[in-house]
Amino acid sequence: MIELGQALVFGILIGGVYALMATGLTLTFGVMKIVNMAQGAFLIVSTYLCYALWQHFGLDPILAAFVVMLPMAALGLVVYKLVIERLERIDPGLTIVATFALALITEAFLALIWGPNQKTTTPVYFNQAIHIGQLVVPRAQLYACLLAIVITVALRQTIKRTWLGHAITAASENPEGARLVGIEPARVGAWIFAIATGSTAFGGAALSFLYQFTPDTQDAWLGLTLSVVILGGLGSVAGAFAAGVLLGVAESLTTAYVSVRWATAVPTLLILVVLTIRPQGLFTRLTRQDAAS
Amino acid sequence: MIHIEGLWAGYGGLDILRGVDLRVARGSINCVVGPNGAGKSTVLKTISGLLWPRQGSISIDGVDLTGKPPATILHAGVVQVPQRNGLFAKLTVRQNVLLGAYIHRKRRKHVEQRYDQLAQRFPLLRERPDTPAGALSGGQRRAVEFARAMMLDPKVVLLDEPTLGLDPASLAIIRDSVRAMNADGVTVLMVEQNVRFGLTLAGHATVMSAGRVALTGTADEVRDRPNLMDVFFGAVPGRT
Amino acid sequence: MITWAGWREKCTPLRRAWIPVALAALIAFPLVSGDIYYQNMLIVTFMLAIGASGWNIMGGYAGYLSLGNSLFVGLGAYTTGILAAKDHVSPFLGCFVGGLVAATAAALLSLVTRRTRGMYFVIVTFAALQLVGVAATTLSGLTGGSQGLALPLPTWSLSYQDWPFYYPMLGLLVVTVAVAAWVRRSKLGMGLFAIRDDEDKAAGLGLRTAVYKMIAFVLGGTFVGIAGGIYAYYVTFLNTAAVFDIITSVLIVLAVLLGGRGTVWGPVLGAFIVAPISNLTSTSLGGSDAGAIRLLLFGGLLGAVAIFLPRGVLPVLSRLLPTRPPVPVQPAHVPVPAARPVEPSDVLVVRGLRKSFGGLRAVDGVDLTVPRHEITGLIGPNGSGKTTLFNLIDGTIPSRDGSITLAGRSLDHASRPARAHAGLARTYQLPRLFGSLTVVENLVVPERHHLWSTRVTPVERARALGVLDNLGLAAYADSSPADLSYGQRKLVELAQVLWLDPVLVMLDEPAAGISPALSARLADLVRSLHQRGVGILLVEHDLAFIADLCQRVCVLANGNVIAHGSVAEVSADVAVVDAYLGDSVLPAVRS
Repeated sequence: MIELGQALVFGILIGGVYALMATGLTLTFGVMKIVNMAQGAFLIVSTYLCYALWQHFGLDPILAAFVVMLPMAALGLVVYKLVIERLERIDPGLTIVATFALALITEAFLALIWGPNQKTTTPVYFNQAIHIGQLVVPRAQLYACLLAIVITVALRQTIKRTWLGHAITAASENPEGARLVGIEPARVGAWIFAIATGSTAFGGAALSFLYQFTPDTQDAWLGLTLSVVILGGLGSVAGAFAAGVLLGVAESLTTAYVSVRWATAVPTLLILVVLTIRPQGLFTRLTRQDAAS
Repeated sequence: MIHIEGLWAGYGGLDILRGVDLRVARGSINCVVGPNGAGKSTVLKTISGLLWPRQGSISIDGVDLTGKPPATILHAGVVQVPQRNGLFAKLTVRQNVLLGAYIHRKRRKHVEQRYDQLAQRFPLLRERPDTPAGALSGGQRRAVEFARAMMLDPKVVLLDEPTLGLDPASLAIIRDSVRAMNADGVTVLMVEQNVRFGLTLAGHATVMSAGRVALTGTADEVRDRPNLMDVFFGAVPGRT
Repeated sequence: MITWAGWREKCTPLRRAWIPVALAALIAFPLVSGDIYYQNMLIVTFMLAIGASGWNIMGGYAGYLSLGNSLFVGLGAYTTGILAAKDHVSPFLGCFVGGLVAATAAALLSLVTRRTRGMYFVIVTFAALQLVGVAATTLSGLTGGSQGLALPLPTWSLSYQDWPFYYPMLGLLVVTVAVAAWVRRSKLGMGLFAIRDDEDKAAGLGLRTAVYKMIAFVLGGTFVGIAGGIYAYYVTFLNTAAVFDIITSVLIVLAVLLGGRGTVWGPVLGAFIVAPISNLTSTSLGGSDAGAIRLLLFGGLLGAVAIFLPRGVLPVLSRLLPTRPPVPVQPAHVPVPAARPVEPSDVLVVRGLRKSFGGLRAVDGVDLTVPRHEITGLIGPNGSGKTTLFNLIDGTIPSRDGSITLAGRSLDHASRPARAHAGLARTYQLPRLFGSLTVVENLVVPERHHLWSTRVTPVERARALGVLDNLGLAAYADSSPADLSYGQRKLVELAQVLWLDPVLVMLDEPAAGISPALSARLADLVRSLHQRGVGILLVEHDLAFIADLCQRVCVLANGNVIAHGSVAEVSADVAVVDAYLGDSVLPAVRS
C-alpha cells in the first residue's frame, strides 16, 4: 500500500515536471499548430544557461530562470522571424525539417562550448527530502512541481486576462475576425513564440538540478513534451498540466509494477494510441463546427 | 462620404469585382442587394482592408484608403460587422466587446468608460458580461457585434448581411439598432440578402450583379421597380 | 560559336548516356582499384541512396513525410542479425526476411494514415521509431539490447575485400531506383501524385487511396529493409541505440530534400552528396569536438536546404538541361458511346437527409428526386443548405439519417470511392485539379486496372483527346493545370466527370465566374450529356442559366425543400419569391 502511495507521489511530482517542460510547446503547437522540433533543444539551452549562472555566480537555478527567460524570449522571436514565418507560408513540412535542423545545430554548439560530459547543478536541496508519514517527498521534485504550477497559472492568467492573451485566443480561433478588429495574426505569432521559448527557462532550470544532462538530452525531452501536449489537447494549458501528471503517474506505476525499462516507452506509446484514436486529446471536447454555407 | 471608383478585386486568378462605382452620402443608410457571386461581401472586404484591390480607388471622408491594412482603416473610423464569425466563441461578451477597441487598448480607462456607456444601450452587456460568446443565440450575438462596432465611435459602419441566420422576430431589433446607430451620426453601408428588409430600412439602394453595379437610386425607387427579380437575376423566360 | 539551342541539342545524347556510363564505372571500380577506403564509402552511399529512394516513394510521390525511416533499416538489420547469430542463417538469405519484416511494418504504417495526416503523421513516425528503439533495447534477450548483437564474421578470403557487400548493395540500388522510376511512370505513381495534390478529390474520383498508399509504403520499406540486412552483415555488430538512431532518418530526409523530392534521380544525387560528406567528417575530424562539428554541419546543411532550396538541386538543374520534345497532339474522333438503357427512371432518390452543425440544422429532412428525363436544378438563397446537401450525397460528409439511392442501388454506407464507382461524379464551386499531372493525366487518373502499366495508354490517350476535343481543349492536353484560365479549368473538371461515364452528374455552380459565351457552351455540353441518358443535378444562382437548361427545379430554403416543379411554376410561387426577396418587416410575427 505504501508502495502504491509512493509510486503515486513520485508520479504526480514528476508529472508536474513534465508539464513544466511542455509549457512552451502547448502554445506553439497547441495554439499555432506549428511543430517546433527544437523545443527540446531550447529546453537544454536554458538548462546550460542556468548551469552557467550557477557555476559562475552561485545563483540558484530557479532564480537563474528568471534571468534566462529574457534571452530565451529573444531567441524565440529571432527564430520565428527568420525561419518559421517564412516557411509556414511555403509548406508546413519544411518547418518541421528546419526546426529539426535548428535542434541539431543547437546541440552542436552546446557540445562545442561545454563539452560532452555530463553536468548537473547541485543546489542545497537537490538530494534532500521531506518525510510525510512513511512517504518520501524529494524536495527538488517538489520545488519543480510547484514551479510548474506557478508557471501554468501565470500563463493561464496571461491568456485569460491580458490584451495580448485575448489577442492570442482571438487570432488562433478566427484570424479574419481578428484582423477586422485590428489584430495582426503574424505579430501575435511572434509574441506567442517569444513567450513560449521564454517559458522554457523554468523547465530548463528544473532539468538542471533534477537530472544529469548532456547536449543530446534534448532528444528524449522532445518526444516527452510532444506526448504531453498531444495528450492534453492542443492549446489547453490546464489540459497539458493534467496530461503531464497522468503521464508521470503512468510511468511511475509502470516502473514500480512492470519494469524500469518499459517505463520510457510509455510516452511514445501513448502518443501513438491517442493520435490514432482520439486526435483531439484526452481533455478537450471536439469543437463545434461552424454552420456550413 | 464613401467614394469607390472603378474597383477591380478578386481571389487568385478570379476577378469578383469588375469595375465597381459606388457613392454613399454622409449620414445615410445605404443597402447593397444582389445575387450570390455578385460581389457584395467582396466590396465590404476590400473597404476594410482584408482584400487588396487590383485596380480602382476607395476614399472615405476625403482620405484615400485604397490597399491600406485593416488597422489603418479602423483608425480612420470605419468598422465592419462581418457576415459570420464576427465574435470569438471562447471569449466572454465583455472581452469580445472590449476587443472592438483593440487599437485603443493603451487607453484603458477610456475604453472601459465606453463599455459602460454602451451597456446602457445594450442590456446584454450589463446582464451577461461573462458569458462565453459561443453560448449565445444568433440574435444575441448580433447585438454583441453591434455593441463592439460602436466601441470605436466610428464614422462608418459596414454591415455584412446582419439578418443572416436570424428568425423573423429578431429583424425588428436589427432594424431598430441600425436606426439608432444612424441617429448617432453613423453612415451605414449594409449588404443584405433579405431585399425587402434592406430596402425598407435603407434610404438608398444599390443592386449589384456579376461584379458590377446594375442599378442604383433611392430605396423606394429600387424597391418599387417592377420585375425587380429580373434585374436581380437576369431575364427569366415565362415572365415578361 | 555554340548557341544555346545547339548546346541543348548536343546534351540530349549525353543525358541518356550517363546512366550506363556511371553504372559501368561503379561496377568496374572495385575490380580496377584496390582502395578499400573508397569501397567502404560507396557501400555506405549505396545504403543511403536506397533509403532515400524508398523514402521518396512515400514522401515525394504520395506526400507523406516521415521521420522514422531508419525503422525499416533497423528492422531489416536486426531480423538478419538475429537469424544469423541465433539460427546461423546466411545474411544473404536472412536479409530477405528482413525485407519482409520491414514491409509488414510499412503496411501497418500506411493504415495509420487513415486517421492521421500532415504534421500528425510526422509525429507518429517519430514516435514509432522511438518506441521500436525502446522495445528493441528492452527485449535484450532477443536483440542483445544495448550490449549489442554480434553477427558471424565474413567467411571469404581477404583478396575479395568488400566485394560481397559492394555488389549486392549496388544491385539492390539499381533495383530500387528501377522500381522508383517505374512507379513514377505508372498509373500507381500518377495516383500517388494525385493523392499528394488533393487526397479528397482523388477519393471523390474513385481512387482507392488506402490501397495506393499501402502499396507505396510497402515498396518504400521493403528494399530498405533488405539493404538493412546486408548492412548489418557489413558492420558485423549491431547496437540498438546506434541502429534506431534518428540521425539516420535525418540523413535520408536530407538526401532527398537536397537532391529533389519527387524526382527519380534526386534522392540518389542527394545521397551521393550527403554520404561522402558524412564519411569525410567522421573520419577526418579528430578530437572530442568531431561529433559536434559533424552535427553542426548536417544541421546547417539541412536547414539551409529547407530554407533556400525547398525543391532541391535536381529541379534546378533539369531546367538547364533539355527535355524530351512533347508528343505531337492529334485529336482523334472516338465514337460516342451508345445511350444508356433507360431504367430505372429515377437516377437519384434522396429521402429524409438530415445534417446539423452544432445547433444549426443545415439540412432538415430533405426529399429529392432526380429523374433521368429531366435536368434538375437546385436553387435557394445563401445558407439554404445546397452545398451541404451535395456533400451528403457524394459522401464528403457522412450521413446518419435518411437514404440515398443511385440508379436503384443504396449508397447509404458506401465510401467516397465506392460512390464514384457506383456512377456518381461531381464538380466543385472552385475547380479542383491535380497540379502535378498534365490535363490528360487528370482525366485518366481514376483508371485502376493494370496499375503497373504506363500512365496513359494509347487507347486512353485517344479517348481523352476525344473528350478534350469536344470541349475545345485538345491543344492543352499536355499542359499543366496551372497554365489554364479559370474557365478552362472548369471545363477540365467537367472532362474529368465525362471520363468517368457516370450515371449521375452533380454540378456545383458551373456557371459561376465565367463569361456568358462559355456558360452557353457549358449548357450545350450538359444537354448533350443529358441526351446520353446521364442524370443531371445542378446547383446555381444564375436563374437565367437554370431557366434555360433545367426542365425541373427544386427550391431549398433553411434546409427544407419549399417548392419543386418547372421553372415557370417555381418562379411564380409566392413562397419562393419570399424566400429570395426576404420576409417583410411587419410587426406581425409569422407562424
